[in-house]
Amino acid sequence: MPLDNNNTDAGNNILSVSGLKKHYGAVKAVDGVGFSIQAGEIVTIIGRSGAGKSTLMRCINRLVQRDEGSISLCGTEIANDMSHRQLCEMRTKIGFIFQHFNLVYRLSVFQNVMHGRLGYMPTLKGILGRYAEEDKEKAYDIIKSVGLEEQLYKRASDLSGGQKQRVGIARALIQEPVLLMCDEPIASLDPVTSRTIMELIVSQARERGIACLINLHQVDFAREYSTRIIGMRQGKIVFDGPSDTLTDSAVAFIYEGDSQHFSEADSAGSLQKEEYAFV
Amino acid sequence: MSDSDYKKVPAELIKQRRLYAATIAFIAVLYITASIQTNYNPLRFFFHMGSFFDFLVHGLLPPSYKLSEGLGAILAQNFGMALIPTFIGGLIAFCLCFFASYSTAPNRVSVKIVRALASFQRNLPSSVWLMVLVMAFGVGTSVGLMALTINTLGYLLRGFADVVDEVGNESMEAIDSVGAAYLPKLFQCVIPAALPGFISWLLYAIEINIMSSSIIGAVGGGGIGMVLMSHWKLFRYRTSFGIILVLAANVIAVNFISNYLREKVIK
Ligand SMILES: Nc1ncnc2c1ncn2[C@@H]1O[C@H](COP(=O)(O)OP(=O)(O)O)[C@@H](O)[C@H]1O
Ligand SMILES: [Mg+2]
Repeated sequence: MPLDNNNTDAGNNILSVSGLKKHYGAVKAVDGVGFSIQAGEIVTIIGRSGAGKSTLMRCINRLVQRDEGSISLCGTEIANDMSHRQLCEMRTKIGFIFQHFNLVYRLSVFQNVMHGRLGYMPTLKGILGRYAEEDKEKAYDIIKSVGLEEQLYKRASDLSGGQKQRVGIARALIQEPVLLMCDEPIASLDPVTSRTIMELIVSQARERGIACLINLHQVDFAREYSTRIIGMRQGKIVFDGPSDTLTDSAVAFIYEGDSQHFSEADSAGSLQKEEYAFV
Repeated sequence: MSDSDYKKVPAELIKQRRLYAATIAFIAVLYITASIQTNYNPLRFFFHMGSFFDFLVHGLLPPSYKLSEGLGAILAQNFGMALIPTFIGGLIAFCLCFFASYSTAPNRVSVKIVRALASFQRNLPSSVWLMVLVMAFGVGTSVGLMALTINTLGYLLRGFADVVDEVGNESMEAIDSVGAAYLPKLFQCVIPAALPGFISWLLYAIEINIMSSSIIGAVGGGGIGMVLMSHWKLFRYRTSFGIILVLAANVIAVNFISNYLREKVIK
């Protein structure tokens, strides 16, 4: 799949999404979302928990199957019916950083980072974990640039939260992606570590020229680190503009609790019951 | 919450207590009916205690280890009958368990089928499998091994599949997101994470099989149990007792080693 062949979109369009929809039962998790990201942009998506931020990201790299809409990466359509092989090839171009790091905790830092190359390797080499020397050198450089060279052969389970996320970042970077998607990358970390991790993500993305899409729920971090902010509410985009145009009233509107949302949650029922069980 | 709320016992808890009480009453009734039905008197043992100890002291002691088969051969057979079914059952369970966990199976039907198969193999004890196999193939050690293997495969498959379930979706999702194909994902993510669980189940299987191999022998499955039975039938109680002691020591030693290894592996 010729990813860097910009045949439909003009200029440096990295990602375009239009008319994206995804529902779970009665819940419209993503309800008609459209936006695009240019090279060099650092876009954060803010919104309450349940607004559909994670679902949106998962639809983009097809960890979740969308209902409707179209998505393209560097001008190439990410079709719903593409072969598994094409899907894997597309995914190598999108780095994904998770809130809970999602490492294989029994393996070392180095092994976890090397996982980022699996998408590029023939199946047999992938099974045996026979990574190219060249890739290993790249991994070492990246591990150094995220500040983990001392922890190279430590088990991932023995790391602190911030260090685990550094491994997550390194694993995404070694994919040499064109787009980095981060789903609440700092939500499991303390405030000081959160800041260093945000700085690391943004500086690495800038240095390597990777466009960034970051889900956050801290508005102040979004204002500080991104060039553009998208506000989501109930599966819809309700704000999209440069960071400095996000007014306090816009924030209030994005985060405003509205009655419809609660009544929907009530009718879903099961979640509420579970909560009572712990009272 | 008001001050008196703590007095209100939740309906759930009351229900649970009633369920416990009903269960205990049910078991008591069952026990009494069964005792009457079978004419079983739990105190009879105490009335005949004297003759029991008499038999223990004069009939079994001292145990004799003078076996025509040789102690080493018996031990080797005991180990062999535990290790071979564990190895073969483990190998098949390893190949099939990925079809029995929702996180790795190609579809939901395969999970249902493989799990049903495992449940069938597991829920009939190896002695019952042996009877079925003896009807088909006659008695012998290889039939005993087969029965043990079927039963072992049953619970290892279930255990391995649960271990794979526990690996969880998070790390697998990460491996999916880097664009890895299915088999590299299994070998680089699922298997490394599941390995301690697999080994722990294998050790458990060895522990179980070292015990059941002697029982299975007694009902026609060959091996150590058959040796034991042949002495017992000839009223060579001291020799039988010698074999039983060796078996017991063996079981305890295997449990001990297995627990030690398990701790090493799991940390
Ligand atoms: N796998 C799922 N099954 C059912 N409902 C889901 C699932 N994933 C998300 N949802 C629902 O979709 C909505 C959006 O969720 P999510 O995308 O996780 O929001 P956010 O990331 O903004 O917190 C929520 O109402 C959530 O309950
Ligand atoms: Mg989320």
